[in-house]
Amino acid sequence: MISPRTLRSLKRGLNRNALAKVGIAIVVVVLLAAIFAPFVAPDRPGTQNLNESRQPPIGFEKASTQEVPVQENGSVVFEDGQIVTENRTVYENATWDHPLGTDGTGRDILSRLIYGARVSLLVGFLGTGLAMFVGVTVGLVAGYYRGKVDDMLMRSADVMLAFPSIVLAIALIGVLDDALEQSIPDPFVVTGVAPAFRSALGLPTGMPESTVLPGTIIVVVALVNWVWFARVARGEALSLREESYVKAARALGANDATIMFRHVLPNAITPILVLGTIQIAAIILLESSLSFLGFSSANISWGFDIALGRKYQSTAWWISAMPGLAIVITVIGLNLVGDWLRDALDPGIEGEGGV
Amino acid sequence: MSHTGHRDDLLRVEDLTTRFYTEEGQVNAVESVSFDVRDNEILGIVGESGSGKSVTALSAIDLVDSPGEVTGGEVWLRDAELAEEFRGESPDAVDGDFVDLRQLPKGVRRSLRGPKFSMIFQDPMSSFNPSLTVGEQIAEAVEVQRRASANPRSTRSRTQGYGLGKLLFDSVVPGREYTSDESRERAVELLDQVGIPDPVERAEEYPHQFSGGMLQRAMVAQALAGEPDVLFADEPTTALDVTIQAQILDLLRDIQQDRGMSVVLITHDLGVIARMCDRVGVMYAGEIVERGSLEAVFDEPTHPYTQGLLGSIPDVDDPAPRLEPIEGNVPNLIDSEMPDRCYFADRCPKAMESCLEHPEERAVEGEQGHTARCVLADGEYDPERALDESHFEGGDGE
Amino acid sequence: MSFDGETDDEEYDGSLVEVEDLEKYYYENDTLFDRVLGRDPTAVRAVDGVSFEVQEGETLGLVGESGCGKSTTSETLLGLREATGGSVRFKGHDVFRMTGSERKVFRQDAQIVFQDPFSSLDPRMTVGEIVTEGLRIHSLAGGAERTERAKDLLERVGLSARHADRYPHEFSGGQRQRIGIARALALDPEFVVLDEPVSALDVSVQAQVLNLLEDLQEEFGLTYLFVAHDLSVVRHISDRVAVMYLGKIVETGPVDQIFENPQHPYTQALLDSVPRASVDEYGRRGGTLEGDVPSPRNPPPGCRFHTRCPHARDACTKELPPDYDTGERHEAACFRVDEDHEYWESEPLPHATETGEGTSVGGGIADSSD
Repeated sequence: MISPRTLRSLKRGLNRNALAKVGIAIVVVVLLAAIFAPFVAPDRPGTQNLNESRQPPIGFEKASTQEVPVQENGSVVFEDGQIVTENRTVYENATWDHPLGTDGTGRDILSRLIYGARVSLLVGFLGTGLAMFVGVTVGLVAGYYRGKVDDMLMRSADVMLAFPSIVLAIALIGVLDDALEQSIPDPFVVTGVAPAFRSALGLPTGMPESTVLPGTIIVVVALVNWVWFARVARGEALSLREESYVKAARALGANDATIMFRHVLPNAITPILVLGTIQIAAIILLESSLSFLGFSSANISWGFDIALGRKYQSTAWWISAMPGLAIVITVIGLNLVGDWLRDALDPGIEGEGGV
Repeated sequence: MSHTGHRDDLLRVEDLTTRFYTEEGQVNAVESVSFDVRDNEILGIVGESGSGKSVTALSAIDLVDSPGEVTGGEVWLRDAELAEEFRGESPDAVDGDFVDLRQLPKGVRRSLRGPKFSMIFQDPMSSFNPSLTVGEQIAEAVEVQRRASANPRSTRSRTQGYGLGKLLFDSVVPGREYTSDESRERAVELLDQVGIPDPVERAEEYPHQFSGGMLQRAMVAQALAGEPDVLFADEPTTALDVTIQAQILDLLRDIQQDRGMSVVLITHDLGVIARMCDRVGVMYAGEIVERGSLEAVFDEPTHPYTQGLLGSIPDVDDPAPRLEPIEGNVPNLIDSEMPDRCYFADRCPKAMESCLEHPEERAVEGEQGHTARCVLADGEYDPERALDESHFEGGDGE
Repeated sequence: MSFDGETDDEEYDGSLVEVEDLEKYYYENDTLFDRVLGRDPTAVRAVDGVSFEVQEGETLGLVGESGCGKSTTSETLLGLREATGGSVRFKGHDVFRMTGSERKVFRQDAQIVFQDPFSSLDPRMTVGEIVTEGLRIHSLAGGAERTERAKDLLERVGLSARHADRYPHEFSGGQRQRIGIARALALDPEFVVLDEPVSALDVSVQAQVLNLLEDLQEEFGLTYLFVAHDLSVVRHISDRVAVMYLGKIVETGPVDQIFENPQHPYTQALLDSVPRASVDEYGRRGGTLEGDVPSPRNPPPGCRFHTRCPHARDACTKELPPDYDTGERHEAACFRVDEDHEYWESEPLPHATETGEGTSVGGGIADSSD
């Protein structure tokens, strides 16, 4: 489906658009980190270590006032059977063991972000894929056949849009519960490649052997977001069905399915792909919101971690801020890629210019 | 400037050159084009799409937009007042009663649009703002001219009311309009003059309530607001049906004669040229390849392109058994793909070795003012010296 | 490819295509929402009872101004739009009631070439794929054979075989139109609808394509329905001509009859309006018709043309003129053809400019130039 011409124009768009390069770099880094999490995560994401709790990120020293026992000659002083304490300002230095700090129970934030990216991206890509499949099918059929079919399909789509997406999602989660949760083994860990790599470099071993595939969330976000794809696909189908080449195909005897898959879909794909990149971002946000609200079964996810950090807001802001930042950067990256695709994939731009 | 012009010349364009700087490269849209417009005449410029005919008109009245730029040439306008004003200031820009507009300050050039030049376009629908009434838009054109005549050289007085703050204020507080009652009355008068029935009512209607033909009439009315000396009409009937086209052509003819103004009519339709124009310029690949009186160009075409064009059109009164088209395709005008030879040589049935040199504009024997950019203007076709195909390797995609 | 066996029509007279009372109405305000609100649908009568036939091997020119329904007629008669009334017979078979296998044959026998060389080719397919799409749909040739056939077809329409791997955007308008013609020819059709095939082209290229169409007609024995608004092109290519106005055919006849002896005032006015590329044309006024074409949503009663006709009389507003035979297979839907019609007794309408015995204005311009 991707012609050499398309590739050329994608490349040209990239050369013209520095922001697109930034976007692609962000998306590639996040993707690679998520895929190769067991190699790149500095620590185990789930192992608690209360001694190292709430360590700040590199570059931020934590100053806090703590009540510490007064010590004399190495022993604690008692008075009236109570330990004597005093208020003292304690400085904790950030360490390179935990470049982005640790959370309330001493888990390495960077490692949690890397593993959280797996969940976020799985939901983002699979959810968008499913929404695209459902939405594009509905939209193409509605736009191509018009009339009653169109009325029926698109009115039901409008009803879906009438609900706030988060409310709809929560209702659907209530219905589906965790029936679709899956746990997929991590091939790098199970085959022993990653543990061997880590011990060779002297990194902590014992990475999780499986990743949660939050099927329920994926299905729910798809059910909430397919409508956007349906609307775009319908609009494209409505106008493409009037193109002369569609009529010509019909005059040659092509049936509806052939026309839809050979003529309508390929020419509608550009706006759908552009919407797709933006929808991945939207779905990552929706997943984070649902995790934040506690509706996800994943116990490691950007939204979930933001929720974890909430109670440390005043003393350890980074616990929430770091996953928040991860979401923001990823979403920006995806949007930049979307813009680039939209500008570069328009087949009308090339070759028909002139004065 | 040359002094060979006609005594009735109103506008003399010499060696006008316009370039577009696009991603594909430099496009030579207008290449050293010369023509003159006389008092009270219709000059036709005919050419196929991409021949540069529209850009030529835009270049003459300084309306070329980025990425285009007029890079050379002179545009001499006869205007004794203007000539007097600039005689001391910039003597190079003045010659007798003529001034070279390209050497005048931008503000002065802009002030000439309306009272000296105006233009109508092919697509009337996109030339009107869909959210304002037709009458209001014509009144606006009248108002601009009214303010200009009160204060001739000031752009500010004319655009007063177009300031951002004022526009914002007006959109919040209704009833404060840019146009005055007089200009609205004048707009109705103009609509009446271009043959729109019930002009008072029609002035209150929006563009989408007009048919294509009526809207084209309204555009003519708008162009007449400044009482221009030269009206540039760029394919004014191309979007219209043949019966409506006939009405608009009649209208243009009447207006031109009633007002004694000059019209430059740009079209691809040789029939329209024949019906309307006193003199004709034929454009190909950014150049005027032949020009002269209607009779000279149509009855004694010299340039093989002109001959080919005339041979390509079927005759509604006499069905020839076979058309004789020009082979090949219209070239694109990208500089790097323009060879330094006659641009038509690769399609020309009479190309000779001498065509490998870019031809100058030459006078054709016979009628005065008939010129052609072709070696045949003052020479004969010699089959012995014919060019063979090998000179045009590859062609353009064929 | 051809139809075998009996036709549906006992009176099949050998016409390749017979169109009878073809109607295509579009309905506005016809959505679910409109029905809920109780709005009545408005009919747009794009084609309103059109009858004509196309004889084998001839070119019928269907001419009219924009919005007269000529393109809708051509697309409806091929079954590309659903007709709302009337019938079309192809070799005696009713096109709207064909069985699956009949339809398959019809789809190979009848083809169409469109006006817009830019929207008529799928931008994401190579030229080779476009040209052989019909072969693929009908499974008529395998991959290698298709490639060969694509090259043959491209060369036949004046392009080069090496163009097969390129995309449409690499071609000029005239070349694209050639590709569209090659696509239509791939299935060896008998009948080709040419829907304004040269209107979007420059005159020099237009002449090339017209010559190509004539050559192909001769070589493959094609029958053409040539839809156009340009009268000189229609005169050049047609054997017979049908003139359409506001959804109806007002005049049909042999091409010379229509152009030299037009009977309907609309045909006369059309001919009068066309600017001729000759110095005799200078100064001639062509605006014999006033006003605009009425809307097909609300067509005028009686003769559709009476609102603009310079000869209109009261009788014209009362009833629709039938097709009067004026000899030599020439028919015109105007009361003025009938010398005994009550038209001649009725009052001229206020806008009518020519009231007396009408003289033909067509057939040359010598007497009307300045």
